[in-house]
Amino acid sequence: MNRHLRRIIASLSPQQKAQIEEERRRAYDFDPRDPLFGLSTDELSGPQLSRRSFLRLVAASGGTLSMSHLLGAAGIVLPQAARAAAQSGGHLICGWAGTAEITTLDPAVINAVLQFQVASNVLSGLTHINADLVAEGDLATDWSVSEDGLVWTFNLRQGVTWHNGDAFSAADVVYTYNRSKNPENSIHYGNLINVLDVVALDDLTVQLTLARPQASLLVKTLERSSGRAMTIVNGNAIESLGLQEYGLKPIGTGPFRVTEHQLGQGVVLERFDDYYDPARPVLDKVTIIPIPEIEPLAAAIETGDIHLIGGNAVAAELIDRFLGNPDLVVDEIAGNGFQSVFVNPWREPMQVDDFNPSVDELKQQNGFKVRLALAKAFDRERFIQRALFGRGVPGFGTINPAMGFYFDTAINETSEQRFDVEAAQALLADAGFPNGEGFPTLKLLTTPAGRRAAEVMVDIYRNNLNINLELDVKDFTVLIEDAFRMEYDLMALGSGGDFDPDDGLVDWMQTSSRFNGPNRNDDDLVEKFGERPFGSFSDAYVDELIDQQAVTADPEARKVLVQEANQITSDKVASIFTHHLTEILVHRAEVTYPAESRIVGLRDLDRASIG
Amino acid sequence: MRYFVARVIQALIVVWAVGTLVFFMLRAVPGDPIQALLADVDPSAADAIRAKLGLDQPVFVQYLFWMRNTLAGDLGQSLYGSHQAVSQQIAEAIPRTVSLALVAFLFSFTLGLTAGIVSAVKRDSILDYGLNLAAFLGISMPSFWIGIVLIIVFAVNLRMFPAIGYKPISAGLDQWLRYLILPGLAVGLPFSASIARLTRSAMLEVLGQDYITLARSKGLNERRVIFRHALRNALIPVVTVMGISLALLFSGSVVVENVFAIKGLGRVLIQSILNRDYPVVQGSILLVAVLLVFMNLAVDMLYRLIDPRISYD
Repeated sequence: MNRHLRRIIASLSPQQKAQIEEERRRAYDFDPRDPLFGLSTDELSGPQLSRRSFLRLVAASGGTLSMSHLLGAAGIVLPQAARAAAQSGGHLICGWAGTAEITTLDPAVINAVLQFQVASNVLSGLTHINADLVAEGDLATDWSVSEDGLVWTFNLRQGVTWHNGDAFSAADVVYTYNRSKNPENSIHYGNLINVLDVVALDDLTVQLTLARPQASLLVKTLERSSGRAMTIVNGNAIESLGLQEYGLKPIGTGPFRVTEHQLGQGVVLERFDDYYDPARPVLDKVTIIPIPEIEPLAAAIETGDIHLIGGNAVAAELIDRFLGNPDLVVDEIAGNGFQSVFVNPWREPMQVDDFNPSVDELKQQNGFKVRLALAKAFDRERFIQRALFGRGVPGFGTINPAMGFYFDTAINETSEQRFDVEAAQALLADAGFPNGEGFPTLKLLTTPAGRRAAEVMVDIYRNNLNINLELDVKDFTVLIEDAFRMEYDLMALGSGGDFDPDDGLVDWMQTSSRFNGPNRNDDDLVEKFGERPFGSFSDAYVDELIDQQAVTADPEARKVLVQEANQITSDKVASIFTHHLTEILVHRAEVTYPAESRIVGLRDLDRASIG
Repeated sequence: MRYFVARVIQALIVVWAVGTLVFFMLRAVPGDPIQALLADVDPSAADAIRAKLGLDQPVFVQYLFWMRNTLAGDLGQSLYGSHQAVSQQIAEAIPRTVSLALVAFLFSFTLGLTAGIVSAVKRDSILDYGLNLAAFLGISMPSFWIGIVLIIVFAVNLRMFPAIGYKPISAGLDQWLRYLILPGLAVGLPFSASIARLTRSAMLEVLGQDYITLARSKGLNERRVIFRHALRNALIPVVTVMGISLALLFSGSVVVENVFAIKGLGRVLIQSILNRDYPVVQGSILLVAVLLVFMNLAVDMLYRLIDPRISYD
């Protein structure tokens, strides 16, 4: 629990504390045999779960309720002192870690989390996720869905103004859709493939028609930061400013407007006085400076040159140093991504050209034995301690702990990949490599930034299986080309900014996934290897499960499908899932960053204050 | 005049050769900018984007387009993000790099010359040994490391200067200098060490000359002997090296710009190489080539003015 939350709890009255205790008791007070966990079908259906329904589902799934969940559910708002502090305004200076520039803020071409962390403060979507990763209305106030789940009608917020003074209307939503669905305009057009049409019913109502029901529509496609395809843009401003200028200083409807943006030198945001919520933003001004190097970033926050860190993950080696500094607040929560080592199934000695047989049948094949041995010999706890200074949790699939409700807390006990060095050695011996003898030296492909972690991996395999791996360090531009062409033995690669199960399963684990070796059948490769039906993994049943979960609106039913798909990909070693990163927010003590703004992966600054 | 025209033509050929070499080398190195651009999104959009940027054309056709546009003064646009014009990126970066190089040059000149003179005059004294050791350390330490040490000492511990960032001169001379002192020192210190060593040896050589002995025997004041008679002659090789150093200071600032989060020409170049952002790499290198080639040409031409005995006919 962070210091800010502790202060708030200490200031609560005995009555409020009792109210929180009652919320906790009611959330866990259900009969596990009741399939609906004491909730009615009305409470479970609809476009959004109530907070109380959500709490009960979190409790039922074995998740732990945090104080921030309970404060809100008990209807307790911030005490007076904290609210007063939150009204102080001021100028917040942020350092964006690990980047030399914030290349663009145009959602159509944003391709990094660190970019939409800024854009999310400037532009809006129809929905925006909250700290529980549940979609809430942003430019839409409410919505309804047809019985067949194909037609969604959104009522838009009245009186919303763009930063240039234009009035926001349904026409802007239609313009954004038409712009984003064209691959020449938007690199995210794929997110809209399931959206057949968007029409304005009147100035403040839009209707979306889908090709098939989509469970992730609100959280993935329409969300303002992670979606990007439907982050609403201003057509007039794009016409008048041109794409280049709009990419630097987009006109939005968000809480802040961009007043300056020099590539590499930083972005200046100023409070937008006509924002639809008059209570936000609290700050007058925000300056965001990209800082590529680790030590200058640390020095800058320690000296107070910057007040808050955003951008890429803060280097793990800095965290203990920051924790020891009374001027700094370090808040750690589960990160929203997965990290893994992909094992090329088209190369010996870990070749598996068909993942469809059952796990027991696969275990008869030497190639699979090697894959499983590599997965089981990977000591995740040791790796996290040595490579990440303890900042991470063991990973066994693409579904991350930040997804809370969908995350399977038991997978570390049930996955075939769970750590067992003796079983791993036995598997390797069975595959013809007793004590690692005769095992070829495999190359582990990684980026310069991943070198340190990769070195720890090499050491773990040398100790646990007596095998040698050789590092193959390449710039990301080269690595991704090799990844798409399946030109590697082992490859350390992962995903970030995953808010919905689709981000892990649809994007990575299906035969047609965009990261499943899409260029494996380039002409020169076909000549060399012949046609390869998939890249790193393919299982027809998993494909079906993923398709099915994608169209299942009922959260509980969807959770079952998601977890089954996740379990199979883990058991069949679609990849060696290594860990989920911890997401760490560092800011100076004089900054107030409310719990409701603590959305994993984002830096929403509209409720933050300084002083 | 004929010589001048011939040199200009030679310079243009060199610039063209550099540009052409960079163009083809970039396309030969592994790494596809479009795949990297689309890493987090949909690889199937790659073809549409390649076509839009003209990267689907044969390399030679791309080269002809690039030549035509460059001759027309259009260096193209970045492949990434907001597709900012290369000329604009360079125009924004140059004042920062020039500011940094200027401050670094002043530090290296002042510190290096002073240390070199003192060291030569106090030859074989403790001061001489100390300055020699400092110069040796200065040459040995990489500038990015010096930068980090300076940040820890002067920004974190002493809170005298900001740890990162840059303010343009329009924000005020004091602010401009406040932000440039630490990066200027980081770039300038290794060069000041070289200049100190060079000055010392040049001074020692001159101080051993007969005309210095004569000057001293005439009873001239020691300060006059050193500054009027010795230093002026010793400066000739030093100034020559300093001319070359100015160009090296630009390259020295490449790493330091990253440490101090200053978006100068070096950072533009590094970032664009890592991203395989072809137009930005080509534009930046072409500009550097033009600057160096024509600075060389200008220096050659200036010899005639400096020393009338030199003739190019």
